[in-house]
Amino acid sequence: MPKLIKNGEIVDNTYVWQQDADATATENAIVPMQKWLDNQETIGKVAGIWIDAGEGVEPLADVDLSQFDVIGVNFPSFMDGRGFSYARLLRERLNYDGEIRALGNFMADQQGYLIRCGVNSFEFAEDVNLDIALTLNKPFSVAYQGDVADPRPVFLRRG
Amino acid sequence: MVDLVYLRIYTTTVQSFMYQYDAIDQQLVEERVAQFRDQTRRYLNNELKEEEFLPLRLQNGLYVQRYAPMLRIAIPYGMVSSKQLRLLADITRRYDRGYGHFSTRQNLQLNWPKLEDVPDILEELATVEMHAVQTSGNCIRNTTTDQYSGVIADEVADPRPYCELIRQWSTFHPEFAFLPRKFKIAVCATESADRAAVQVHDIGLHLKKNDAGEIGFKVLVGGGLGRTPMIAETISDFIPRADLLTYLDAIIRVYNQHGRRDNKYKARIKILVKALGIEEFRKRVDAEWEHLRGTESTVPMSEFDRLASFFTEPEYEALEDQPAELTAKLAESNGFARWYERNTFDHKKPGYRIVTLSLKKPGQAPGDATADQMEKAANLADQYSFGELRVSHEQNLVLADVRQDQLIELWEAAKENGFATPTLGLLTDMICCPGGDYCGLANAKSIPIAEQIQQTFDNLDYLYDIGEVDLNISGCMNACGHHHVGNIGILGVDKKGEEFYQVSLGGASGHDASIGKILGPSFAQEQIGDVIQKIINVYVDSRTEEERFIDTFRRIGIKPFKEAAYAKAD
Repeated sequence: MPKLIKNGEIVDNTYVWQQDADATATENAIVPMQKWLDNQETIGKVAGIWIDAGEGVEPLADVDLSQFDVIGVNFPSFMDGRGFSYARLLRERLNYDGEIRALGNFMADQQGYLIRCGVNSFEFAEDVNLDIALTLNKPFSVAYQGDVADPRPVFLRRG
Repeated sequence: MVDLVYLRIYTTTVQSFMYQYDAIDQQLVEERVAQFRDQTRRYLNNELKEEEFLPLRLQNGLYVQRYAPMLRIAIPYGMVSSKQLRLLADITRRYDRGYGHFSTRQNLQLNWPKLEDVPDILEELATVEMHAVQTSGNCIRNTTTDQYSGVIADEVADPRPYCELIRQWSTFHPEFAFLPRKFKIAVCATESADRAAVQVHDIGLHLKKNDAGEIGFKVLVGGGLGRTPMIAETISDFIPRADLLTYLDAIIRVYNQHGRRDNKYKARIKILVKALGIEEFRKRVDAEWEHLRGTESTVPMSEFDRLASFFTEPEYEALEDQPAELTAKLAESNGFARWYERNTFDHKKPGYRIVTLSLKKPGQAPGDATADQMEKAANLADQYSFGELRVSHEQNLVLADVRQDQLIELWEAAKENGFATPTLGLLTDMICCPGGDYCGLANAKSIPIAEQIQQTFDNLDYLYDIGEVDLNISGCMNACGHHHVGNIGILGVDKKGEEFYQVSLGGASGHDASIGKILGPSFAQEQIGDVIQKIINVYVDSRTEEERFIDTFRRIGIKPFKEAAYAKAD
């Protein structure tokens, strides 16, 4: 079973990220958001959907997100920071409280920011050493801005 | 003698007039050092790929340049204490070649550090509340402001507390570390002049009061230089200061999601604003802001008070303007009078003056300072200006609070240390990037061009007669030398492997900001001095008595300049 980091632990990855929209959707599949939107009456139970960079979260505004166990956010490149906003909007705007999973080409060194934006699981590329990656997920113990975990900026927290 | 006096004063002066770190600020910079030390170690051990280390090191100001890495150290909104400057001098000596380059973002660049030394440099910087956070990379960069903040009479309010607010909000902002492109914010607080060039920033903030007397900001968006220079447009006439951070979040969230990422030359926010049009862009920002306005990121009055408490006035003495010895010296010494006229500026308090220590000495690259000069400047700050300095956008150093009755002494000391070139605002007070002598991006050298112009215009009487001209030089289209907004702009271009220079005229960076127009085909390096001379001749022949270069250009247009510059010798 492939592994991933979820909530700060290395666990089995029980879902399958289906990048191909033509793949048959299964109960453990994370399917493309647009595919799910286009086929929501017929697609049946899936683990969740994933959002590609450029798609945004607006198409999900009227969707009951609680039906998804997981929503994936794809990073086509670690330089592409759109997913940071998507994760944050999923949590703060659409009030999604299930798993948000970083997918694709993100870096272990980005985990700290991603966690602050609401991502709580990380499906790394196969060549990434998860034990090392796990040590990189909290580079800072304090922050200036509010975030998903604590909306209070530093000026509401200074003693 | 100066040094002895400094020792006495330095040991008795402990009060600060700048932002001071508390435990949280200090913890953040220390954790950053640890993080970067580990990233560097993993990179050197081949545990981190080159392309992955790239954005990580850039977010810490570390470039890999033509000959060596370049480390850009942040000087938030240009404020630096004498203690910090002394450490910077020491660092350039121990880790570099004994000099540094002050940049247009009011930062300090080291040209020759070793990559493996950078974590140690950062650790030392952290001991004096300094860092290199977000001085490069596709993130929110060092916020800049007027180098005369807090000491001029006509500012709406001191912009520095707001700059510090923005610094904290933008530092390690979790959502905006991987934007489509770099993001620069500048703040201006005066109607009379814009010394922060806010109209050519991604976001320009103009501190103002509304009719009810409340403090807020006029917000400009979409200005910038680089390959496609643009003047910013107004997105809001007034955002109350309490809402500043949520409004900035809204703008940048729209940009982060919708800015182009397919082409780095079209990735700045200006391209998005232009593509959508300011109306549509504003609509999207307002829609986003609806959700953010009034949330926890709304800044309470207590925070404005806390931030303002750091930027208190020093204990000014009750002094009279124009003391007798100053008046006498002005009458007696032409050299002093020139320096006073050009390099000092009105202070809000009677009996004080703002003094610029020029880093434009002929023969020295514009904006460069040696370690010795940095130490001397720190000493002068301790002795004459409450131990603090500012770095100006024009790449000079500023002593903000100098007693008028000490100006003669200071002038003598400035002369001794190469700081007294009396050309502030004149043709040879050039903005200049490091160019092809250092930078891996440059198409051409810029420092030799600056030297050539300094040599062509080495007569002070003539320079004074020419009057105020902004001449800006960039070694490539990235426009670090702000050539687009120079009254005269010079851009290095590569023509089949040879370095050529394109000249533009009519740019300006103040409240009357404009983008320069290209004069015509580019010139060979050795022609530049001559070409600038011809351009200046046209101005001198055409000007009315009160016109500056830019005024004459705006009146007569580019044609006469073009004709003169390209005229064949008989």
